[in-house]
Amino acid sequence: MKPVGRAHALARLFLVAGFVSAASATPAGAQKSGGTLTVGQELDIPGFDPLKVGVYDTSANTAAAAIFDTLVTLNDKGEPQPKLALSWSHSDDFKTWTFKLRPGVKFHDGTPFNAQAVKENFDRQKDPANKCRCAFYISSIISVQTTDDLTVVYNFSDPSVNFPATQTIQSSNNVMQSPTAWKTKGDDYNRNPVGTGPYILKSWTAGDRMVLEKNPDYWDKGKPYLDRIILKPLPDAQSRFASLQSGEADIIWDDEADADNILKAQKDSKLTVHTYKGSGAAVYAVNTKNPPFDDIRVRQAVVMALDRPKMSQAVSSGLSRPASNPYGDGSWVKCKDDGALPFDIEKAKALIKDYGKPVEFKMLVTATPRGRTVGQVLQQLWKRAGINMEIEQVDQATIVPRAFMRQFQMTPWRIVDLADPDPQMYANFHTGSPVALANYSDPELDRLLEHARSTADIDKRTEDYCAISRLINKQAIWFWTFQNTYYAISNAKVKGVPKMFNGVLDVSTAWKE
Amino acid sequence: MLFFVARRLLYLVPVLIAVSVLTFVIASLLPGDLAYVILGDQATPENVAALRHDMGLDLPIWQRYFGWLWQILQGDFGRSFRTGQTVLQAVSERVPVSFELMIFAELIGLAIGVPLAIACAAKAGSAFDRLMTGSAFGMLSVPTFLSAILLIYLFAVELRWLPATGYVPFTEDPIANLRFMVLPALTLALAEWPGIMRVLRSDMIAALQEDYIALAKAKGLKPSRILFVHALKPSSLTLVTITGINIGRLIGGTVIVETIFALPGIGRLLVGAIYTRDLIILQGVVLLVAAGFVIMNFIVDMLYAVLDPRIRHGHA
Amino acid sequence: MATLELSLDETATAPPKRGRRLGTLFWVAIGWMLLVFAVAICADLLPLPSPTDMDMLERRAPFSAEHWLGTDGLGRDELSRLIYGARISLIVGLCAPVIGLVFGGALGMLAGYFRGRFESIVVGSMDVLLAFPPLILALAVTAYLGQSIFNLTCILGVLGIPAFMRVARAATLSLARREFVIAAQALGATHARILLRELLPNVLLPLLAFFLLAVAVTIVVEGALSFLGLGVPPPISSWGSMIGEGRESLDVAPRLAFLPAIAMFLTVLSFNLIGDTMRALTDPRQGAL
Repeated sequence: MKPVGRAHALARLFLVAGFVSAASATPAGAQKSGGTLTVGQELDIPGFDPLKVGVYDTSANTAAAAIFDTLVTLNDKGEPQPKLALSWSHSDDFKTWTFKLRPGVKFHDGTPFNAQAVKENFDRQKDPANKCRCAFYISSIISVQTTDDLTVVYNFSDPSVNFPATQTIQSSNNVMQSPTAWKTKGDDYNRNPVGTGPYILKSWTAGDRMVLEKNPDYWDKGKPYLDRIILKPLPDAQSRFASLQSGEADIIWDDEADADNILKAQKDSKLTVHTYKGSGAAVYAVNTKNPPFDDIRVRQAVVMALDRPKMSQAVSSGLSRPASNPYGDGSWVKCKDDGALPFDIEKAKALIKDYGKPVEFKMLVTATPRGRTVGQVLQQLWKRAGINMEIEQVDQATIVPRAFMRQFQMTPWRIVDLADPDPQMYANFHTGSPVALANYSDPELDRLLEHARSTADIDKRTEDYCAISRLINKQAIWFWTFQNTYYAISNAKVKGVPKMFNGVLDVSTAWKE
Repeated sequence: MLFFVARRLLYLVPVLIAVSVLTFVIASLLPGDLAYVILGDQATPENVAALRHDMGLDLPIWQRYFGWLWQILQGDFGRSFRTGQTVLQAVSERVPVSFELMIFAELIGLAIGVPLAIACAAKAGSAFDRLMTGSAFGMLSVPTFLSAILLIYLFAVELRWLPATGYVPFTEDPIANLRFMVLPALTLALAEWPGIMRVLRSDMIAALQEDYIALAKAKGLKPSRILFVHALKPSSLTLVTITGINIGRLIGGTVIVETIFALPGIGRLLVGAIYTRDLIILQGVVLLVAAGFVIMNFIVDMLYAVLDPRIRHGHA
Repeated sequence: MATLELSLDETATAPPKRGRRLGTLFWVAIGWMLLVFAVAICADLLPLPSPTDMDMLERRAPFSAEHWLGTDGLGRDELSRLIYGARISLIVGLCAPVIGLVFGGALGMLAGYFRGRFESIVVGSMDVLLAFPPLILALAVTAYLGQSIFNLTCILGVLGIPAFMRVARAATLSLARREFVIAAQALGATHARILLRELLPNVLLPLLAFFLLAVAVTIVVEGALSFLGLGVPPPISSWGSMIGEGRESLDVAPRLAFLPAIAMFLTVLSFNLIGDTMRALTDPRQGAL
């Protein structure tokens, strides 16, 4: 799904993946209590009820990380650590996971957090009658059972090796909400969320600010450090950065499209740039049922005409990291050979010549400065290979329905940062899936996807996913431009902001010097 | 007079009905099936059909329109499918912000425009007059999205006099509220004063040519008295008009300024509703705003009738 | 609405003093307009680099012999984009007001001449159009029709109709009571004849003056729409969209925002100077109406 920043990643891989900078957790004892932290966000949060909002966007993730807790969290090395769950274990076939929950935890409304609450959170999202968009990410979980007050058992249809890591992102699927609260508040629950987290929602004016106050009864004694967190939607990137400079905001969300300000902040000793290299990528799908993309020569030419390093220079002063597969450096899927087609403008021209007809098509582009810039650069790169792309600007809400109804020739999409590639890869490429945008069907691809899904062995799965990447790259039904990289900029006085795992800016453990 | 008021009130009814039809049609025209927007990855054909049925999207448009109108007549404007906020909640939260912004902007605009207009009218054709008329166009051709960010850089980042973004309700802290409002209001006012100045200037120049001014001059009245009392006073009616028009135009038109300065106003609400296809909010808010505009015009008309008796007997 | 009659005043500005002699300013304005029109029309013939070809490694290059005004944020020739942008800004800025002028002018004249129920309907429907937040209307209609220069021009044109209608109606109302119209009626002239031969030439003057103002406003509004992603579709440039793009690198390369802003300023100013002067030349009494 498009702009939903979510990300997970397997622990051991973070040891491999490098991080550019960031204030990482400092030793205990240095923390200072008190004060207010103001966060400048990109988007106006619609709410927290999964049935209403479906999936959280990046701004909602930040709020959710403060109001709610997840069962599992990640430590500085990216290893799963206990949070609301104290311990976990799995069956030999990885089809069952059992979690022991932390005793004595209460929601902000005073009701107890227990196995029943976990089950109710899950059941509500899974219930087909609720038609929750959030059900997409829990499709492989068959059921959740409670064996006693503090033990929950997750049952899976296929082996789920990375389950604890997938539970760490503060998404609508993972955060624990108070069943009593959503039942009693009904329609109003969405904007009056109740969790177990370190901060309690005090007030919220749509479009202006959300004020979170310290939870005095938080189960993790001594935390949190700040008295108050204020989340403000500052939609304009320029004035958001200006607000950081002038002191209205202590920390702001940013992205590589705003490269000038990121580069400026990196040189400014009063500012700290937080960045995280996630898995997944910005991707594009072509409709293989219609000309010109029903011809593999055209598809390959389109990909081979892409000069990603140059494109990165143009769109983000070189900050964007080129992608040659859908997994990225942040993923545990590492391929010796991902089958990426090389940049070869001459070969692209030859393929187009071989095709014989003029290649013209329309690409959907989001009507944002970012969308326009990327669209124009792609157009330019393809023009050099003799391919004519016309930009069709539409708003975000138009792209999704048009993609699902296959009313496009080429559309942008995103593979988001998830700890396991399966949910997205299966949905994006298996025959018959609503998200299989390319309309492309290949028994071999289906077989590999099914095998990767039903295998527990990590090496075999890696091999499957690399084979999948080779197949897709060769057929060029989708292509990838840049890997996901996340940015936040803060005042240098802000400390204790963890790495932006899963692309989430989590300020719930921060303090100000 | 009573008859005049009644007739004007009666006239509002068809206008409001037409506004509601237009609102509904425009909202329905927006591309992107709402069911797909809500369902996202879960958009299987069965789910889409079921949701469309639940939301009544499978009914013909006129049936949906009357259903919506019937609810509104009962005072129920509906709820956002995304946020769960009711239209009335959303509007009552946001209208004060936009309203204050408009009033404030208009006041600054008048404060710049009126003195300049008087000065220019007094010396029409002089170098000063030409310079000011020229700068007025200069300001007109600086788009607000550029002047906004320039003002932020100057007053918030460099001089640190005013905050760059944000908002505090007036009731909470009047001083802070004004500090937050200065830059956005100034940005709008920079685009407003040229219009005010132009209209008032030409009006006054015309007035200064009238016979009674010549008479006043002949009687030996002080030039300043002629300028302010005899020329400005008749032009004040014009001023009321432009101010009214400007405020009306600003309703929902402040979205750029609201976006850049992160003000929680009505413009951002509406544009956000379009982008997320939050049709209930869009229809409800547009209808309320349009009704507000129509009613304000009605009030301006009434004011006129009070100020100028010719209108209520004339052809208005 | 009572405001209608006063709208006319917006068009009446020129001090009669200035009217009879054309100052140097006027000729400078004419010169600038000729230049802008000339380069816009002949853009294809000029030895310019393509306005869309990018040199992705030469972004925001300073002034040079190769790129006279440097390059923009994507490495495209700034001068060339300015000139091709002039073309778009002028097309939109001239065509949209023409739509308003033709439809608004006709409706206003008919309403002001025939009065009665027809007038009520015209004025009422214009009130409806005015009550609708214009930006929202533009956003919704663009989302429905898709983005193109043609659609953009039409939307801006339709949004301008009420204003032109007011001007035309106000002028017609006051003229319809004049002697020459009454005389024509008494002589048994047809409605069509009175409208076209007697009223139109007189109503046209204030309408044209208002038209010039509308041109200026439209050029600026197109820029505002570009900011919201509603302007001309890329990679076409318009002055407004160039200012919007340049805004993102104000501290690195302020010229990218200011060059198109200056071009816009000079053009808007010229249009109005010419408009004022022409109005003053043709009808010095306008201001006293």
